[in-house]
Amino acid sequence: MKGRGIGLAVALAVLAGLLAWSGTASAETLRVLLPIGGGYTEEDQIAIAEAYMAAHPDVQVEMEFVGWDALWDRIITSIATGNAPDVIYIASRWIPALADMGAIIPLDPYIDEAKWALYYPAVWESVEYQGQHWGIVRAMSTKALLYNKTLLEAAGVELPMTSWEAILEAARRVHNPPEVYGFGLPANRFVSTVTEFQNWLYANGARITNEEGVATVDSPAAVEAMEFYFGALKAYAQPSPIEWRREDLIRLFKSGRLAMYTDHVFSVIEALEAGIDVGVQMVPAGPQGDRPFATVVVTDSIAIPAQARHKDLAVEFAMFMTNFENQATWDITLGFIPPMPAEAGLEAFNPWYWQVFIEGLEYGIPQAASIQDWEGVQEALLTATQKYFLGQADAETALKEAAQTINILQGVQ
Amino acid sequence: MFHRWRGPGARWRARWAGFLYVLPMLLYLALFLIYPIGRVLYLSFFDVTLLSMTPQWAGWSNYLWAFTFRMPGQEGVYFLASLGRTVLWVGLSLLLKVSLGLAGAILLHQELAGRQVYRTLAVLPWGLPWAIAAMTWAWTMNTQFGLVNGVLLRLGLVSQPVAFLGAPVAAFVSTAVADAWIGLPFMVVMILAGLQSVPGDLLDAALVDGASPWIRFFRVTLPLVRPVVLTTALLSTVWTFNSFDPIWVMTRGGPVSATETLPIAIYNVAFRLLRFGGLGKAAAMTTVQVLVVTAITLGYLQALRGGQEGSQ
Repeated sequence: MKGRGIGLAVALAVLAGLLAWSGTASAETLRVLLPIGGGYTEEDQIAIAEAYMAAHPDVQVEMEFVGWDALWDRIITSIATGNAPDVIYIASRWIPALADMGAIIPLDPYIDEAKWALYYPAVWESVEYQGQHWGIVRAMSTKALLYNKTLLEAAGVELPMTSWEAILEAARRVHNPPEVYGFGLPANRFVSTVTEFQNWLYANGARITNEEGVATVDSPAAVEAMEFYFGALKAYAQPSPIEWRREDLIRLFKSGRLAMYTDHVFSVIEALEAGIDVGVQMVPAGPQGDRPFATVVVTDSIAIPAQARHKDLAVEFAMFMTNFENQATWDITLGFIPPMPAEAGLEAFNPWYWQVFIEGLEYGIPQAASIQDWEGVQEALLTATQKYFLGQADAETALKEAAQTINILQGVQ
Repeated sequence: MFHRWRGPGARWRARWAGFLYVLPMLLYLALFLIYPIGRVLYLSFFDVTLLSMTPQWAGWSNYLWAFTFRMPGQEGVYFLASLGRTVLWVGLSLLLKVSLGLAGAILLHQELAGRQVYRTLAVLPWGLPWAIAAMTWAWTMNTQFGLVNGVLLRLGLVSQPVAFLGAPVAAFVSTAVADAWIGLPFMVVMILAGLQSVPGDLLDAALVDGASPWIRFFRVTLPLVRPVVLTTALLSTVWTFNSFDPIWVMTRGGPVSATETLPIAIYNVAFRLLRFGGLGKAAAMTTVQVLVVTAITLGYLQALRGGQEGSQ
């Protein structure tokens, strides 16, 4: 009798398992690839999946999280092996390469008038390539100069600093190693090293390429920007900038030992919470600048791979992720610049520090305008940066070499 | 005399039974060794990038590219410079692993109080994921917050923090040290096993003959553990040649290209330099690397064979 009871229990358990499995199998499974780290948390992204599944009980959203470092590799290997997820989160700078691969689909047919109207026109431009739009912007950032008011005011620096000379002089005055470093300089072999340099390039009227994609990063204005940012400021930087990423500098800034550096709005919030008296200003124009201030505008977006098994569902999920409410919650929670004008009017974005970054959009230049293969261009610029930084080449030579490599990558040599 | 009748089925079974026993291993080798190597070799003769996965026959052009391509602004051929750097880096890491491994094994072979605890501790680094170990080393060597600089400064050995990962030569040595640390436990454990297998009576006989500890070690112990050391060093060479994580996590091949060893260069060509690199060129570089490692392996085996013949 006892044996028969156990047998019955096992049979019931198997039956229950099969029923549960058949229930799951009948639901459509949407595979989503998302980044983690650099401000992105699993919880915030899982919350969106749960909200979507609550409204769509017949859909199972499976989220895979990959560190930003490995996201590009994960995307292209999944595409190369024919196993792409349904939805991918990408840096918009990757769009030309992915579009050329035929790896992602243009989303124009799926975007209605209301969705177009939600965003700043410049936001749509950041996901445009060859006349089509390949992503829906999910995160946007501008950069500004964060400074420690207490340190700079004690050194008698007049704030805000209105020129590059003023910044250099301020860094010189406050620099007192190892207690205080004048300027936070990231020079690690990492994307944010290029991003932060772009602020200074743009502020001096330089660009990486022209509109035809030909490298212009060896222009006199670019050389001057490099000599200032990686040259003159180096004397007042923290030790061994080559070991530092921008993402690491916030720790030094929060400890009150760093006078200034360029970063996101979310780092301002973090420093304020740590009790630092933070000031924020845009990077002012350099000697050859063509605008009073400048910032690089970086966007990340949601894209749909051409191999997606559930394209319509994927698009629906992407629209859900980026609807007004979800986008606003996301930007406020993670500290991104609102890509929608209506969102920028929300009370959460009223604090003074938010306004500096939002108003910065007016002077913003996209990170990868006219660049087809960002990863290669980034490598070329990082090599040039480190060569100059280590004294292996002067700025002009280092940037000429970078320009040669970029032209090969752009196919315009 | 009674003979058991063996029909054709039995003979067939006898003939194929052995084959069936090794079939799983053959399948494993075919799937995980022969196919990947064959695929790499195949791709090396095609122009194929991740931008365009349709292979176009390229003949020997990828190999020609590997032996002639110069990155703008870099001295020498890109592939050969990476290969030369790799040989030096592997040599340095291996030197550390073998010398410290031998020393560690000898130490752990002594009658020490708490020997088992030390042996367990010695193996711990091998249990750590390589990326985590490399990350730990990167922070340990950090200029501002690193433990090493903290100790050096407190002891007054340096007046300024040392940029372990911020200067080309220092980064080259630091990544090799981190790699050696990761691979050291394997070396210690293997050599220790070798030491334990040295017959005690041989050492006793040498002692009776009046041999000093040095003579006993160099004339008795070392020749007997030589095959173990060489075999372990061979395995370690192959692994170190393919070592990617420590460098990628600590320096990403920088500063400039100071730590851009072949695995890093191959990765960059395959995944980053899509427009002038690609899978075909990366496959050609990989094929040459496999040939180089094979040549080194044959050299080791020759040395191993020579040692065995000499000892007989």
